[in-house]
Amino acid sequence: MAHDTRVAAARDGSPVPPGPPPSKPARGRTDLWWWPFAVPALVLTVAFFLLPFALNGYFAFTRWTGFSSVIAFNGVENFTNLVESGVLLRAIRVTVTYAVIAMVMQNVISLSLALLMQRTGRVNSFFRALYFLPVLISPLAAGYIWSAILEPGGPLNGAIGVFSSGFDYAWLGHGTSALVSVAFIDVWKWSGIVTLVYIAGLNAIPHSLVEAARIDGANAWKTFWWVKFRLLAPALTFSVVVSFLGALNAFDIVQATTRGGPGDATSVLNIALYRQYAGGFFGTASSISLVITILVIVLGVPLIAFLRRREVEA
Amino acid sequence: MTGAARRWDALRVVVLAVLALPWVLIPMWLLLINSVKPYSEASRLDLALPREWRFDNFSVVFDEGNYPTALLNSLGIAIPTLACVLLFGSMAAWAFARSRRLSMKVAYNLCVLSVLLPPAILPTIYELQVLQIDGSRLGYFLVMVGTRLGVVVFLATGFVRAMPPDLEEAAAIDGASKPQIFRLLILPSLLPVLLVGGVILIITIWNEFLFALFLLRGADSATLPLGLFRFASASSEVIAFRWDLVFAHVVLTSLPIVIVYLFVQRRLVQGLSEGAIKG
Repeated sequence: MAHDTRVAAARDGSPVPPGPPPSKPARGRTDLWWWPFAVPALVLTVAFFLLPFALNGYFAFTRWTGFSSVIAFNGVENFTNLVESGVLLRAIRVTVTYAVIAMVMQNVISLSLALLMQRTGRVNSFFRALYFLPVLISPLAAGYIWSAILEPGGPLNGAIGVFSSGFDYAWLGHGTSALVSVAFIDVWKWSGIVTLVYIAGLNAIPHSLVEAARIDGANAWKTFWWVKFRLLAPALTFSVVVSFLGALNAFDIVQATTRGGPGDATSVLNIALYRQYAGGFFGTASSISLVITILVIVLGVPLIAFLRRREVEA
Repeated sequence: MTGAARRWDALRVVVLAVLALPWVLIPMWLLLINSVKPYSEASRLDLALPREWRFDNFSVVFDEGNYPTALLNSLGIAIPTLACVLLFGSMAAWAFARSRRLSMKVAYNLCVLSVLLPPAILPTIYELQVLQIDGSRLGYFLVMVGTRLGVVVFLATGFVRAMPPDLEEAAAIDGASKPQIFRLLILPSLLPVLLVGGVILIITIWNEFLFALFLLRGADSATLPLGLFRFASASSEVIAFRWDLVFAHVVLTSLPIVIVYLFVQRRLVQGLSEGAIKG
């Protein structure tokens, strides 16, 4: 096998046509030798990601419960049930709100941190490593740590109490502040990576352009807004998309802090999915899973397209 | 540097140092210091030093929190997953980057779909039931590999495409076989992206909770995050959260990954901030 490949590659590689680039890889029959390299990854991805993914398109429309071994097609019944009980639309609203809050906070905070730590040097290396630490903590553990900090008698209210004594607001006990707090924990957990991606983006901007803007009399803000921010496009695309789509799949932090409460204020789709699963309603849980997929596609694709177009213009 | 630039630089360091307090240092301190307090002190959730040091919180976690079993499960899943994902991922990346067959392009696109699309949990359970590995560590491991290969394929394929193929072609002409070229040329050049990607992967695999919750059943097969969740949930139903024990568990659960980080910290942070991962 090795011998054949070599002979074939040599035969194919020798009559190099003039002109650039002479880098056409082996073609035709010899190309089959690539398959042994691709097959393990392809088989595992198809078997344990794509197949379940495709099956979900069927299971979402079935009555599949833990109380019966029969899985029967039941049309859109799962969806009508979810809509009528009010679970679905509320969960979609909560999830999208959560994702938007997390995405905006993530990118504002991480880009600010990146600007502060942009220049390569010893001090900044230290800070970059320090601010990276929350990334190591599991989202679940991050949820526990921050629910302690946000407790009515916890350190945050303790610090606020220095200025207005007896402050005991339950951050996770009120709908709006709970949703914002949980999204914030998500931001905190991942900011370390996003910051480094932004630093890479900032350092990829040609220094001459920034310099030219300065010479033309642009102040720090104008240089940032008109030069750096425009040329940051690839890093921005990556960070916005990853933080938004990641937040659409939120689960761990919510489960560790509020479990969807108070009321249903933080019941994101994955929480609703888990509740259906725990209740034995596997078909309905699949329906919610399909909704998450559709949300990712319907919101993610235009977002990527928009940000990519912006990259070209910049 | 001009005077103004130097002042701005000093200001920046001060801002970063002050901000690090609430952002990193206080949460970490709260975690560490309350993990060695007795229950009554820890439930006050303050930042003071313990009046009574309770290091046996950790032994409670060891015994009641099933820590040793969970640690072995986490190691036994995370390390093989990482090895398979990095090896198979870079093998496929080489093939995808160099072959021009349409079928290969289709295969590439199928592989990287998992980068953006969310995995479907319920049908996964169904499939594992059919394969009779539902609830087992083997099933969870296979799903971890299948759902994470896409990222490595995506990153590494982009990396190989940017590499000129001249060296590989010369090696082929000199008689090197494909496996030899892969082992001696491709794998070493992929090292930077595999290191950064591998560390991010090991962090997310180590901390993975959603699939563990659905796919692993029984205390014997629980990984560390699942063990932490069950431990915290069990401890909270009786009275309020046992913050002392929950924090002790968090410390022990995070410890292995922090140790890994200490070893690769410099290269990881440097790699990421030089753009090892691109959009």
